[in-house]
Amino acid sequence: MPDAAPRELTFAQAIREALAEEMRRDSRVCIMGEDVAEAGTPFKVLSGLVEEFGKERVLDTPISEAGFTGLAVGAAMTGLRPVVDIMFGDFITLTMDQMVNQAAKVHYMSGGTWKVPMVMRTTLGATRRSAAQHSQSLHAWFCHVPGLKVVLPSTPYDAKGLLKAAIRDENPVVFFEDKMMYKQKGPVPAEEYTIPLGLADVKRAGSDITLVATSSMVQVALGAADLLDQAGISAEVVDPRTAWPLDEHTLIESAKKTSRVIVMDEGYERYGVTAEIASVIAAGAFYDLDAPVKRMGAMHVPIPFSPPLEDVTVPTEQTVFEAARALCGRS
Amino acid sequence: MALSVVMPALEMAQETGKLVAWRKQEGDRVVKGDVLLEVETDKAVIELEAAGDGILAGVNAQAGAVVPVGQTIAWIVAPGEVPPPEIAPAATARRTTAAAPAAPVATTSASVPAAAEAKISPKARRLAKERGIDISRLRGSGPGGEILAADILAAAPPSASTPPEAEALSSVARLMAERTTQSWTTVPHFFLVRELDATALVEARKQMLQTIEKTGGVRPTLTDFLVALVARVLTKHPQMNSSWTGSAVRQNPEVNIAIAMAVKDGVVGAVIPGANRLGLADIAAQRSALTERARAGKLRPADIAGATFTVSNLGMYNVDAFIAIITPPQAAILAVGRVADRVVPVDGKPGIRPMMTLALSSDHRAVDGARAAEFLNDVAEAFREPREWLP
Repeated sequence: MPDAAPRELTFAQAIREALAEEMRRDSRVCIMGEDVAEAGTPFKVLSGLVEEFGKERVLDTPISEAGFTGLAVGAAMTGLRPVVDIMFGDFITLTMDQMVNQAAKVHYMSGGTWKVPMVMRTTLGATRRSAAQHSQSLHAWFCHVPGLKVVLPSTPYDAKGLLKAAIRDENPVVFFEDKMMYKQKGPVPAEEYTIPLGLADVKRAGSDITLVATSSMVQVALGAADLLDQAGISAEVVDPRTAWPLDEHTLIESAKKTSRVIVMDEGYERYGVTAEIASVIAAGAFYDLDAPVKRMGAMHVPIPFSPPLEDVTVPTEQTVFEAARALCGRS
Repeated sequence: MALSVVMPALEMAQETGKLVAWRKQEGDRVVKGDVLLEVETDKAVIELEAAGDGILAGVNAQAGAVVPVGQTIAWIVAPGEVPPPEIAPAATARRTTAAAPAAPVATTSASVPAAAEAKISPKARRLAKERGIDISRLRGSGPGGEILAADILAAAPPSASTPPEAEALSSVARLMAERTTQSWTTVPHFFLVRELDATALVEARKQMLQTIEKTGGVRPTLTDFLVALVARVLTKHPQMNSSWTGSAVRQNPEVNIAIAMAVKDGVVGAVIPGANRLGLADIAAQRSALTERARAGKLRPADIAGATFTVSNLGMYNVDAFIAIITPPQAAILAVGRVADRVVPVDGKPGIRPMMTLALSSDHRAVDGARAAEFLNDVAEAFREPREWLP
């Protein structure tokens, strides 16, 4: 039986569909955040949801991230499954006490009596000309805290399956979406599916070098892999999909297979997600490595507003290509 | 008079010893019985004691050096005495590749030339060791002259004795490995085995085959009968259809039977939800669709989710009987062997009957032996009287 042509959705549509399906499935799921109702967020990700589910379940809040995140923590503890929308990932700084000291710890400190089944959706990614306070990728902050799960989807398919899994999770999950990816299209089956948190995905198989890439960097890695292919280097692209829980097994096995690894993530390189992943790989695949594990992330500077400067602060297909060639001794 | 300190022979057939560390240093005063140094053999690290009193002098081997047995590596001299002149620098001592950085021992003669070690990648070092390659003879091809895996491979292709590299696993194979390990190591399994006469089951299938095939278009297999019967018996035994939650037993409201199916890289449990309420034709149709999707590698997540009990039939592989591993959080799995003619007592005389063997694996946290036995007994009864359960 030939399959029908796969249905394509944008990243934003996939997110919206995941939310709508979960809200239909479970009346406890609700959305709160700035401009989430009629405006559907500045990125138009949530358009149409308030019309279907009403203002009780798609709740516009005042501009007070700390306030409505705290509201969500309490609502989650007392039976709802809120999905909080933090418009720009830069604003998570305002929610830190609610997330780090309350949401992440309540289950542990109450001996399992209370749960906080909430999701925080927010954004990451530079090169949108939004300047230093609206362009950061701060997901490493949450990865550092026990009790929080951190999801970094890179395709519409992954975004939908992971968001549904995140909403059904009994623990607080922070879900980072790349602002530049919302219009990217990809196949998303109409039928029901979820993707378990903690399962990496090999986006492209290869044999000479592994490019571990998260979120926005997956497309960069795939582009670099195409360039490398033309240079006779076979690159494998592995997407962890969740920074925590981390699928260490898949990362280490890929490193063992190729012996060379570049880890890339759009967060700041220093003390970032790439450091943790590189360390996991160095420890797990040490005797199979033929070169040091290289990391690539955002430069240690405020993201510049100047477009030419902004573009060089984060890895690009070209810089990854050159780094990979050098690592393979072919520069 | 000067006493020589020599590399001792600690084992038969030992040719060299590795100097792990000096515990006394050049110029230190030592008393008989003091530990001078540590020596490593294949089996152990041992301490070498001073044979007399004096000053440690003429140290000519450093930590990390591999020294021939019997070679003098230092002297114990009287204050003011000079070590005998014949001690030449230990020409045969060489630095092993795995040598620790030379200990900062104050040596007078600094006998071992500190040959600059070539840089080598961890992978290349491992390969060189596995293949017995002397890396000091290699020129590295790395960007900074580092010895890389390719240099080792070029120097010595893998020998026949090198074990083949394990193939990377597919996700189905990996999941199977992880799940079965988790189950086998954490679920307290116990097993009940029952042999039974399958005459009625075989007969019932023959009788119902054509009607169902005509109306439903699908030919029901023996497995379909087993699923239908087991699902109905399970409704009488909710404990067998339960899950251990970590602190309690949860009885599952639905009876969803998984059928273990072989796929390309392993086995999956394809689920027939609510099998206790489905007729044979429906079960056969669903099983047939699942089999097709499983063979094509197109099972959907929903096809393998929510099972409460598994039936695994290896009869078609001519297996007489086998014991299966439970798929948590299910509480049990029924392993079914082939139907084969056996000589058995019939009315006190030897007769030939089609017999089959069932083996039930149960999670002892969720169910006990007596209850599992009652269930298995009812399953056996149902198999002996299938028409009573499947009108």
